[in-house]
Amino acid sequence: MIEINNLTKTFGSFKAVDGLSLRVEPGEIFGFLGPNGAGKTTTVKILSGIMRPTSGSVSVAGFDVAARPLDAKRAMAYIPDEPFVYPKLTGWEFMRFIGDIYAVPLHDQKKRIPGLLDMFELTAASGELLESYSHGMKQKLLIASVLLRRPRAVLFDEPTVGLDPKSIRRFKGLLADIAREGAAVFMCTHILDMAEKLCHTVGIIYRGRLITKGTVEEVKKMTAAPGVRSLEDVFLELTE
Amino acid sequence: MLPVLLVRKAVTLRNALLGLRGWKLIKNLLFAGVGMLMLAALYTGFWRLLNYLEGVELIGPMLSWKLTSMVLLMTFSMVIVSSIIISMTTLYYSFDLKFLFSCPLDSRSVFMDKALETVFYSSWTLILAILPYIIALGRIKGLDFGFYLAYLFLMAPFVMLAGAFGIFFSMLVMYYFPSSKTRDVTWMLGSLSVGFVYVVFRFSRPERLLRPDSLEVVAQYIQYLQSPTAPYMPSWWVTKAMVAYSAGSWGAFAASAGVLCGVAGALYLLIYHLAGRFYMRGFSGAQGSPRFKGRRETLPEQRLGARYPFLRPSLTLYWKDRLMLARDARYWSQIILIAALVAVYLFSIRQLPLDSPDIKSFISFLNVGVAGFVMAAIGLRFTFPAISLEGSSYWLLKSAPLTTAAVMREKLMVSLLPSLAVGFLLITVSNHLLGADLFISVLSTFTILVAAVVITVMGIGFGAVFPDFNVENIHQLESSYGGFLYMACAMGYLSLLVGVEAWPVQMHFAERFGRDNPWDPRAVALSAALFAALNAAAFYIPWKAGVRNLERHEL
Repeated sequence: MIEINNLTKTFGSFKAVDGLSLRVEPGEIFGFLGPNGAGKTTTVKILSGIMRPTSGSVSVAGFDVAARPLDAKRAMAYIPDEPFVYPKLTGWEFMRFIGDIYAVPLHDQKKRIPGLLDMFELTAASGELLESYSHGMKQKLLIASVLLRRPRAVLFDEPTVGLDPKSIRRFKGLLADIAREGAAVFMCTHILDMAEKLCHTVGIIYRGRLITKGTVEEVKKMTAAPGVRSLEDVFLELTE
Repeated sequence: MLPVLLVRKAVTLRNALLGLRGWKLIKNLLFAGVGMLMLAALYTGFWRLLNYLEGVELIGPMLSWKLTSMVLLMTFSMVIVSSIIISMTTLYYSFDLKFLFSCPLDSRSVFMDKALETVFYSSWTLILAILPYIIALGRIKGLDFGFYLAYLFLMAPFVMLAGAFGIFFSMLVMYYFPSSKTRDVTWMLGSLSVGFVYVVFRFSRPERLLRPDSLEVVAQYIQYLQSPTAPYMPSWWVTKAMVAYSAGSWGAFAASAGVLCGVAGALYLLIYHLAGRFYMRGFSGAQGSPRFKGRRETLPEQRLGARYPFLRPSLTLYWKDRLMLARDARYWSQIILIAALVAVYLFSIRQLPLDSPDIKSFISFLNVGVAGFVMAAIGLRFTFPAISLEGSSYWLLKSAPLTTAAVMREKLMVSLLPSLAVGFLLITVSNHLLGADLFISVLSTFTILVAAVVITVMGIGFGAVFPDFNVENIHQLESSYGGFLYMACAMGYLSLLVGVEAWPVQMHFAERFGRDNPWDPRAVALSAALFAALNAAAFYIPWKAGVRNLERHEL
């Protein structure tokens, strides 16, 4: 479960996130939508523990991220919008590194890593240094590393940027699987079509404030404008 | 198109200067102020030296010009080597190159823009460092302000000629071997040449040139002074032009300056022409990555981590750093430079003109401070940047279930053993060369081992107080505000360390000189207490500040 209570983050006089509160239940895929600079990345960074809130609190899998950061981080997986990884490690070594850091038993790593690499078609490149990987390959490797550690909460920031169509389709299936296994999924995305088809609930953030949240159908009903049919129409109307 | 590219650099500089406000402005002013103080100290030293040389009867003026030609030759060589190292990055791996190549710009203009960047980055520190020498020279020779203007005018073609070597080298190497592996080889070759120039220069014992008594025949010495220093090098053309200016021989000045500007102009025209043919092929080749085939093996640290789970996070970070350091040519090139530094240091100790055993032992004690300085300089290259070199990948550690202190402890673990080894090597070999007595040998060895730990902790601590995860190379970190503060604090710590131990050392020498009851137990106890307190503070404060700052650091 992911819980955000009255979260505010300011940079100088600029309020990036303003009094945000929401909750993502285990097994739920939540799509966090908003235009550029609305506060999505800031929110997900605070959830992951790499940024501190100005006020309010966030908790992941029942652990307050500020008070019990290690427990919270052990239970979650975070993938940022830019897949920066260690350029001088190979794909195989990177998977082992993540496995070791998140205390995945050695025999488990040896058994599961080849399958995960295979799933993302990275087996042939797994002995090469990550500096030679493309953006999409790095993204796939990060997603594979998420599956290795079986987290209880997953935070994705624009996860499909750089992925090829085949990988995007596979990713959608995996996301549904992760949720089915009971993890809470928090996903920032610009791809409204994907959010509409994949997410159980969506929230729209605009200028730091959550302007709407609910199931896709509920959000669609929130606008009375004639001719509104898709989530994209709602999004554009609410954020203009 | 080149003017458009140069204007963007000017605008960037203007924006950076206008962005200096509040604490940022104070920090930069402070930094600049301390830099000016250091330049002033250099000026005082050069002024004394030149004043002494100029005062030597008959040959004084010749001596100072000879020294000037040597200084310029050395500067020229150093700019060449710097340009070889820097040009590869600026010409083929700058962040903005992909953008520039996607713009409707002619590749020659892009190349010249990056060539000028190479000349600037490879020369500005050296030009700044010899400025106090030139000012002192002008004052000693009683020259007017025009001399400095002439010097600045001559420096432009001078550094452009030196930088052209690196630019040519990179352009040709990348044309014939268009691969990213070439960059690693160039870094290694560049560092090897710096180390080589440094060691050869020191081992040639230049101090002898300033001591006429070391040469047998006076006439030989005068002939040596009058002969040109590397007559076909631009450094000699600059010297000739400066001599001509000081003598008021405008024709000779114009001739030397003309040769300098003419050759520089011709060389850059050639570079401009060749860039059209060579640049694109090299740039395109640089985009690829070298082939590497890693094995799927379980590392010793992983086996150890499986047996002792509480050590697993530290061991994991350790094997990650170990593999990355071993595969990064930048670190290996740094190690070559350090080996040269250590060799020159030990050679200088051996060359010290010391006769009496008492003086030798005393110098062995003071040597702790100098060896500590060498270790701090090494720490500035290896330990201080350790945190920042996590770079853009730091988010992985920040979002992982690891404490900041655990990350810093692992960085300490990587650096500590090499620091202790270098410290031990420096002090034991120096003590052996100097023939230090047992007391001094034991005291200095113990002190340097403690200092090695403290200096390494300070390096990690300061690195965490001033992290910069966006730097392109280690040199930017070394010359940063944090790097400067680390060195200043390490120097302060070493001075106090030597000061605290001076008391028992003084009693030891009193005993050697035969004084009755020289040992005062209270003084020894006080000295030991101060030693412990100093080391505890130098260990604890930077470490604690580093942990606190890195915990608060947001990505």
